[in-house]
This record gives sequence, C-alpha cells and structure tokens, in this order.
Amino acid sequence: MLELNKVYFTVSDSEGSGGVRNIIDGIDFTFDDGKFYVITGPNGSGKTTLAKLIMGINPLSSGDILFNGRNISTLSITERAKAGIAYSFQQPARFKGITFRDLLTVATGIEDESKLLEILGRVGICPLSFLDKEVDARLSGGEIKKIELATTIAANPKLAIYDEPDTGIDLWTIGPMVSLLKKELAENCTTTIVVSHNKAFLEAADVVMIIHSGKIVYNGSLEGAMPLLDDLSVCTYRDSCEGDRDAGCYR
Amino acid sequence: MLDAIDKTLLKTVAELEELPKGAYNIRKNGKLLSRHVSANINIETNADETGIIVKIKPGTKNESVHIPVILSQAGLYDVVYNAFIVGDDAEVTIIAGCGIHCGSSEPEGHAGIHEFKVGKNAKVTYVEKHYASGEGAGRRTLNPTTRVFLAEGAHAQMELTQIGGVDEANRINEAVLGPDSLLLITERVLTDGEQTAVSTNNIVLKGAGSRANMISRSVMKGNSKQIFYATIDAQNKCYGHIECDAIIMDNGTNETMPSLKAGHPDAELTHEASIGKIANDQLTKLMSLGLTYDQAVNRIIQGFLK
Repeated sequence: MLELNKVYFTVSDSEGSGGVRNIIDGIDFTFDDGKFYVITGPNGSGKTTLAKLIMGINPLSSGDILFNGRNISTLSITERAKAGIAYSFQQPARFKGITFRDLLTVATGIEDESKLLEILGRVGICPLSFLDKEVDARLSGGEIKKIELATTIAANPKLAIYDEPDTGIDLWTIGPMVSLLKKELAENCTTTIVVSHNKAFLEAADVVMIIHSGKIVYNGSLEGAMPLLDDLSVCTYRDSCEGDRDAGCYR
Repeated sequence: MLDAIDKTLLKTVAELEELPKGAYNIRKNGKLLSRHVSANINIETNADETGIIVKIKPGTKNESVHIPVILSQAGLYDVVYNAFIVGDDAEVTIIAGCGIHCGSSEPEGHAGIHEFKVGKNAKVTYVEKHYASGEGAGRRTLNPTTRVFLAEGAHAQMELTQIGGVDEANRINEAVLGPDSLLLITERVLTDGEQTAVSTNNIVLKGAGSRANMISRSVMKGNSKQIFYATIDAQNKCYGHIECDAIIMDNGTNETMPSLKAGHPDAELTHEASIGKIANDQLTKLMSLGLTYDQAVNRIIQGFLK
C-alpha cells in the first residue's frame, strides 16, 4: 500500500516575485496493492512530478509518503528502489558503453545468460538481438522505451511506476505492452501506476486518476472520467484568443 | 624468469597469466627477456638494436603476436622502435603494452614508437595498454607513438588504453590511408591526481574510398588534465569521423580540439565532441535500479572506458 499524506511540491515563482507555486498541491491518496492505476490530465498538470516524488527523484516540499506502512519520505532513490519501487522514465537515459545486458544485470543481480534470456522471454516485447546493444544515442525512441520497460519489470518491483511508456512505441506494440503490465500485475501482484493519455492504458485501468493544477480532481472508473476528460480537452486558451475563426490559432 | 611484479604487470597490460602461445617478444628494463617466433610470424632485433621488426607472412590467418614491455628498474627511460610489416591478405592480432612498476623515488619511463605497414587487404587488430603501479614517488612517463600506413583495402583496428598510474603521457597517433582502406581507433585514457596526458592524432585520408573513425574517451579525476588534438586531413573522396567525449570528475580539466580538413570536394567529414560531468539522468536511472550514487558513478565510468 502506498499512502500520500498532504503531499506538496513547491517551487519559487518563475516571475521572481519571491512568491511560490505548488506544482503538487496537497495530494492525499492511497494506492491499494495489486491495482492498475492510470494517471492522466493536461500537460503541465503535475503527473510526472507526482510520479517522481514517489520515486524520490524530486524531494517532497512537505507531507509524507508511506510505503507498506514505512515512511519513505526522506529515503534516497536507491533506498526506495531497494524497498521495491521501480520507475520507468519518459525519456530514458542513454549511456555510452553500457548495454541492455548490463542494465538487466544491475536491475536483477543476475549475470547468467540463460536466466537473462528467461527475463527477456517474460518481457516479450524486446527481441534477443537487443541484449548486447549499447543503450546509447543510436537506439530509436521505441527501442529505448522497450528496454526501459524491460529493466523496470526485471527488477521485480512491488510498485512499478511507468511515465508515458507508450511514447515512441509503434501502434502494434501498445496492446502487447498493456497486456504485459496486466500479466505482471496478475502474477506478482505488482501495484502499477502508469502516467498516460493513451486510451489503451486508460481502458485497462482499475482506477483512472485525473490530475489538474497539482490536485487530484477525479479518481474512479474510466466511464465516470469521460465527461471531465472531454472538458479538459477543450482548448484552455479559448478565452484569451479569438476562437476558432482566428487563422493564427492551430491549437 | 618472471617474478611476481613482472607477472602482475604482464597480466594487466597483456592479459597474460603465463608465457603466451604463438609469437611473442617480452622486453624487460630495456633488454630482451624472452622471444618466440612462429612459422608465419618472424621477430628479429633491428639493425641498430633499438627495437624489433615483426614480419607477418602474406595470407597468415588468425594468429597473434604479444610484445609487452615491463619496467621495474629505477631511473630507466627505455626507448624502443618497433616495426610491424603485415603481408597482403594477412589477419593478425598484435597485443602490445607497457607496465611500469616504480618502487623508488627515481623516475621511470618508456617511449614505444610503433610503425605499421599493413599490406593489401590485410586486417590488423592492435591492442595497446599502458599501466603504471608501485609505491615509489618516482615520476612515471609513457610516451607511445603509433604510425600506421594502410595499403589498398587494408583494415586496422586500434585499441589504445592508458589505464592509470601514469604521471605524464604524450601520445601520438599518425596514419596514412590508401584506397578503400579502413582505420578505427579507440583511445581510452584515465588520469587522476596531478597526472597529465596529451593525445595528438593526425589521420590522412589519401586514397579514394578510405574511411577513418577516431573515438576518444577521457576521464579526468582529481586535479588531472588531458588535452586531445585530432585532425583528419581528407585528400580524396573519403569518409572520416571524430568522436571525443570527456567526463570530468572532481577538479579535472580538459581541452578537446577536433579538426577536419577537406581537400577534396567529395570528402565527407564529421565530428562530435562533448566535455562535462556524468549526466544526471544516467545517475538517476542506475540509482532507480538499486545502485548507490558511488556505485552508479563507477558503473558509468567502467562502461565509458570499456
């Protein structure tokens, strides 16, 4: 169980007025074990920031995060990883001289080739030829996202966070990717949090959460979320611009 | 014949536990320690006794030559001129390296000047490792020079590594490429403390269809300093690329100067250079897989210099 108690992430105001702005604005929420959560909401609403607060990549400004009853608010990224949280980055790091095999070994402590192949079989979406590829700038956006997802699953986390896992992934892989996360959840009771706008993930969710201006404005079924999602999809600049007839507006 | 220090140095620079199979020439403290030739590979001392000439017969396949140098005599600066003549169509691996063990306050050093004449369609892999150790405060200097001449269709792959412990290094690599030849150089240099290393590279793409790729990976720890110069001079329709990356740790400093000269309208030359600390996203990723900050730094450097 992951509990967020009055969680804030605050930055100083960009206009230099000395004021502050809450990127995450007092979120209280409990994630139950073995459920599939999809966090969605407009760009800049705080989805990735919230995910990074849970992993410890961003420091909490105030509030507490409890994971299985233990307060992890001040733990480092490393300690949270060891506690069973894994994170899949929206824009994965690229390394010169480090291969997919190396990352899998770091994630699992396993060097044995047959066991690594077993993991690849389990993940399913990465071909064997990836194993000795360097995770560098030569990989395509889709390839590196598959590798990112595989290292997250390989770590056997209790809580897996995926930040926009479908970015750069071809249409034919998104379905299998959703099934894979569902299968991992079913077999290992992995609590799964996906930040995504993709319909395939939203439809797979047990709970859809909508974040807007750093607050959770909805959590529940996708059906219940639809009216709000429709609302949020309307251009937020409409009031300040001339509307649809303004030829300069392509939003 | 080999004492414990010799064995450690040999293992580090040439990955040799025992005397190697095939042709070899081991030089210790400026003198020949041991030599073995094979049916296809001959090694002889040159006329003025300043080094060796290694001749590889045309058409030789899958053979190797080990030519390590070890230094453990205080105050010695050993200079050696080695020539490699690789026959047409031969395929050979040459493993060189210099290990210095400095047990006193006297300086020790080695300059190895290696010249390669690679015949038509021959393929050479050259691996060179430099390493210095020992508790002595004596300054350890290693100044290797390689000169490569590639005939038509020849391939040379060169792995040049300076692992650590070398106070001062002045490294020079020069190459002239014939038609349709290929040169791949990967240089990896790690410096620490007050060490300095300068690497100067001049590659001349003379023949039509010649290709060269120069990769440099530098890591500066402590207050160490590295300077990297690389020039590709294209004189024909050819392709050349320079990729130099430097990672700064602690208070290390770096200067990197890649330079491209196109003397032919069909020359295609590119370079990329970067200097900086380890990227934050790399550290965060490895920490999110359970490594501590220090472990993540080590893993990234280990991969970078692999």
